[in-house]
Amino acid sequence: MTSMISPLDRRRHLTGMAFITPTMLVIIAILVYPILQSIVLSFGQSSIDGSEPYQFVGLKHYAALAGNDRFWNALWVTLLFTGLSIPLELAMGIGLAVLMNEHFRFKGIARLAVLFPWALPTALNTLMWRWMYNTDYGLFNAAALQSGLVDRPINWLGDETLAMMSMVIVAVWKTSSFMALIILAGLQSIPRELYEAGRMDGMTRWQEFREITLPLLKGPILVALIVRSMDALRTFELPFNLTDGGPVTATESLSLYAYKVIFDFIEFNYGAAIVVVQFLVIFAMSLLYILTLRNKD
Amino acid sequence: MKFTLPALAAAAAMTAMPVMAQDLVLSIGSRGYGPAVERNIERYTAENPGVSIEWNKVSDVPGETRKLYVTGLTAKSPTPDIYAVDVIWAGEFAQRGWLQPLNGLLDADTIAAFNPSLLDAATVDDEVHALPLYADGIHFFYRTDLLEKYGLAVPQTWEEVLAASQTILDGEGNPQLYGFVSMWAKIEGLFMNWLAFTNANGGGFYDAEGNIAVNSPANIAATQFMVDLLHEHRMAPDSILNARPDDARTLFQQGRAAFLMVQDFVHAPLSADNSPVAGKFDFTRVPYFEGHEDANSTTMGGWFLGINPNSENKEAAADFLASFTAQEQQLAAAVEDNRAPTIPAVYEDPSMGSNEVLAKFGANYDFGVVRPSANSGSKYPRVSEIMQLEITNALHQQKTVEEALNDAQAQLEALMAE
Repeated sequence: MTSMISPLDRRRHLTGMAFITPTMLVIIAILVYPILQSIVLSFGQSSIDGSEPYQFVGLKHYAALAGNDRFWNALWVTLLFTGLSIPLELAMGIGLAVLMNEHFRFKGIARLAVLFPWALPTALNTLMWRWMYNTDYGLFNAAALQSGLVDRPINWLGDETLAMMSMVIVAVWKTSSFMALIILAGLQSIPRELYEAGRMDGMTRWQEFREITLPLLKGPILVALIVRSMDALRTFELPFNLTDGGPVTATESLSLYAYKVIFDFIEFNYGAAIVVVQFLVIFAMSLLYILTLRNKD
Repeated sequence: MKFTLPALAAAAAMTAMPVMAQDLVLSIGSRGYGPAVERNIERYTAENPGVSIEWNKVSDVPGETRKLYVTGLTAKSPTPDIYAVDVIWAGEFAQRGWLQPLNGLLDADTIAAFNPSLLDAATVDDEVHALPLYADGIHFFYRTDLLEKYGLAVPQTWEEVLAASQTILDGEGNPQLYGFVSMWAKIEGLFMNWLAFTNANGGGFYDAEGNIAVNSPANIAATQFMVDLLHEHRMAPDSILNARPDDARTLFQQGRAAFLMVQDFVHAPLSADNSPVAGKFDFTRVPYFEGHEDANSTTMGGWFLGINPNSENKEAAADFLASFTAQEQQLAAAVEDNRAPTIPAVYEDPSMGSNEVLAKFGANYDFGVVRPSANSGSKYPRVSEIMQLEITNALHQQKTVEEALNDAQAQLEALMAE
């Protein structure tokens, strides 16, 4: 087949290569290299400053992980957080998108307001929420106490269930707008004629939503789900700033646990093993979504 | 952490005046050593016009600062040149090669002036790796006005604290008022608290033979008291489980707690002119459990100053370090800011007598207990983490006290066998 490529095609091919090479090099340097490095680290024992040579130890760190309750807890917390927040974000996102797609006064301002939480850095948002959740000075307890709903302040971030719930609320508040944005783009690409035809056939608004809107939104919804799930499975700033993984380890995500192992205990190899497992979980999740997406097409 | 470009620094040094200009970066929190840091920098740069010192104000929560240092030191960053080291890291950092040995940089007399037991914490392979800047410990602060109002004596035992607290809370009938606050978030301060409570009951981290014995009956009883304080007697707010030192201090300062247990540094903000409790509080030694009046229940801490081995200005850094920790600076910090000196000769200065607060701090240090950092070396962060986690498990009633401490004991034994 190569003989059939004309000189012109070859030149074009080379030009193309020349254009993408710098980008590829950057991606390899900042993405592929660290990933490979993490994998190598996770199978060995080495000192962090290179003063002791790297020693291959095989699956030692992975075997230790298998018997480490705190690791399993972190994995569970990560999956629970993802499982709780993503469906809520999706529901909120669809709702917000449908609303923003309607015509009403101050629509521009409303759209801006919806995007605001997403535009702010997670760390900043989280610290703001931490104050609102504060047991002694927080907004929620002030409201709950003054309205007489409770007579003792609720320790929002100090109770296992409430802390996870509080974390999910912050995530939903922050990222529903991102879901909404992607879904809104999808909504706007649905031809109006379909709704007109539906109306002629006497469809109700609910039927329109069920039969026209939702099926045509499948693509954008899946894209939003992939991006958000990957984000949620990696969640770090949220528990780090809101609860520091507490109470005990009730909100300690995989990223946060890996961070503690690496930077508190200075065990880079063991930490790398946690990161690799996390990578595999995210990879599997993405693969699942992509396969689903392909089947639907 | 600031990363100055070495090349840029070198260029700046070369283009400078006949005297070689030296740029030093000092990394220390703004709270721990208080106004003495600013004063020392101003004095030193006035005396040494060729030196400029940039103060990198790091967090006063040790765990946060530690992460910052670990990142920079692992990457062999040349900044900061001089940095403050918690007493519990001194041995570990020295072992890891993150502190420049000082024996070649400072003369023997300078080093010999310091309290030898403090120097021990930073001595590895017979070399001193950092100089102690100040010592501190946890103290028991109380509201004098509330005790007076109910005719109560200053409680000496935990049993008395409980009784006094109940009298005050019943009498005041204010749901916004709590009995006892401290730093029970899952931080190093929680482990310090636990050591204070358990030592006050004749227990502690080690048994009499020096073996780790965190699940001893005395420790179980003391830890159970902590749990009961919160859950049964309802003397502490639920938020004590999220409280860091300043959270506890804030509650007490706003008049919302009768008793507070934290380190020395809170004395300054509590007695400031704008503090609602100024003139209405005092402090005493950490209480003990009945029958243990000799207990060493003041958990000690302290900070060192050391030099980054990757610093490009080690000589200049050593000179500043020696000046910063010198006897006369320590005396000023002691008399003016109540910071406990680390050079024994300072205590003999007549002007020390004028500072009653520091004298009382000193009396409490006589009942001092140190954390097991020197014996644990580079394993200390994990020792502390195990303890913080299991104590938290008990305080959150996820485990019984006995289960939590048994689990801690098992994990510590496994760790030490590694």
